[in-house]
Amino acid sequence: MKDVAFGQYYPVPSFVHRLDPRLKLLFLIAFIVAIFLASNFYGLAVCAGVLLVAILFSRVPFGKVLRAVRGVVFLILFTAALNVLFYRGETVYWSWGIFQVTEEGLIFSAFLVTRLVLLVTCSSMLTYTTTPVALTDGLESLLTPLKWIRFPVHELALIMSIALRFIPILMDETERIKNAQKARGADFESGGLIKRVRAIVPILIPLLLSAFRRADELGDAMDARCYMGSKNRTKYKKLRFTWRDLLAFFWGAALITGVVLLRVYMGAPV
Amino acid sequence: MRIVAEHLSYTYQPKSPFATRALDDVSLTIEEGEFFGILGHTGSGKSTFVQHLNGLLRLPPSRKRGKKSPPAPNEPKLLVGEFDLTQKKTDLRALRRRVGMVFQYPEYQLFAETVKEDVAFGLKNFSDKKLTAEETEKAVREALSVVGMEYDEVAEKSPFDLSGGQKRRVAIAGVVVTRPEVLVLDEPAAGLDPLGKREVMELLHRLHSTWCKTVIIVSHDMDEIAENCTRAAVFAEGKVRFCLPPAELFRHAEELTELGLDIPLTAKLCRALERRGVVLDCDFTTEDFIRKTLALMGGKP
Repeated sequence: MKDVAFGQYYPVPSFVHRLDPRLKLLFLIAFIVAIFLASNFYGLAVCAGVLLVAILFSRVPFGKVLRAVRGVVFLILFTAALNVLFYRGETVYWSWGIFQVTEEGLIFSAFLVTRLVLLVTCSSMLTYTTTPVALTDGLESLLTPLKWIRFPVHELALIMSIALRFIPILMDETERIKNAQKARGADFESGGLIKRVRAIVPILIPLLLSAFRRADELGDAMDARCYMGSKNRTKYKKLRFTWRDLLAFFWGAALITGVVLLRVYMGAPV
Repeated sequence: MRIVAEHLSYTYQPKSPFATRALDDVSLTIEEGEFFGILGHTGSGKSTFVQHLNGLLRLPPSRKRGKKSPPAPNEPKLLVGEFDLTQKKTDLRALRRRVGMVFQYPEYQLFAETVKEDVAFGLKNFSDKKLTAEETEKAVREALSVVGMEYDEVAEKSPFDLSGGQKRRVAIAGVVVTRPEVLVLDEPAAGLDPLGKREVMELLHRLHSTWCKTVIIVSHDMDEIAENCTRAAVFAEGKVRFCLPPAELFRHAEELTELGLDIPLTAKLCRALERRGVVLDCDFTTEDFIRKTLALMGGKP
């Protein structure tokens, strides 16, 4: 259960941690665009380089970053296998029935795998270096224009921050209930699929009940403090751009330019 | 079952910025038949310690050593009866059947549709053969009666329709139904009103004299400890600071206050009397305190 730490905030003081969350969000979007714009390995190499620098500056250990990839390793392998087996190409190495392994297929799957790994890594870097509160603050600020069309931006941000805030709490709760049932001899590790699914019931029901109870309590607590939504509400922490953000901004701009140039001058890999 | 712990240490989330050392070289022996108290502030390591007793938390794997070389002097050791928890292969199911564990707010672990089914959950998990309906009913009936509830009244009810105190008693019944030799309870009376508290403590005494040889309670209610325990250990920052019978423990009022702990009301009164020159040699239970005070005043108990 504890391994679901995928994307959990990693508290160390660093350059990246201190960046404005809005910039980090925009940077992530730019990065994802760059990954999809990159049409060859050179483009991806540039992306990987930029990401590597970001990881170094964030002081998040590499093992931790790789763990985020471990969570989706099955998806990545599955995609790779499908592409290796079904991609049609010129140079055929091996074929059997409808399956065909070609040089182009191998290259293309390598390309896809790199792309997926980069995508997962960069999005988990955002959550490793940004607290949930900062993240939702940033999102709210970025979405402000939508307020003009009466979109409930503040409420959306609030829902998001509550949801994020409750993930660790509910995880602790799950652990606690699981332990309590284990102490009563519950067995979650053995038996067939049906037996295992049924073994979850003694965890699921208390967990759901406690989630509802907590939701009620939180709602009451907010009412008791006269929470009324976004109207006339000020922020404890104002978001401000600093020289760090400017630096990171240029870094991101350089990335996009680099990838676009590579796409224009070097063409596709396959 | 005698419980022997030596040089026990435990770190949560080791090798990460969240690493917290919860237990630091803890050595403690709990004899069979004790009503043992574990005291300490939040985060002092008391809950971590008790979770080791039925293998919910395991000792970190010991470093491999050659067969010839003698064990290191401060090698961690944990024996619960005949179960050696230093060994990687321990029959956890057998251990958990004999060491019952009631967590904090146990009513939040209730899940079944009826009280009967919930109480029978552990029974079914632990029994080696399939139990007949009669055997199950008999065991559930006895477990409910030992926690002071009427089987015919509540068995078919939903556990969620009961009152708070009743839910807690049903949850305790769900643990003692397998008749564990050692019963560990984490804050069994937390969040109950004074009457509910007294009922729970009475129920524990009933269990102690009948079903469970050893009872271990984690608490920070000093009066509870003074009234009930044969011995109590005080945890602070992952270490055991004291392990004494209450009558001796609460003489260390100053040290306990320094650790951010309270002392029982009776101990406070004794201290106040001492400052006025009256020495009252009591064991800090309410009964003894009243008897000695009356004797001092020349009244008849």
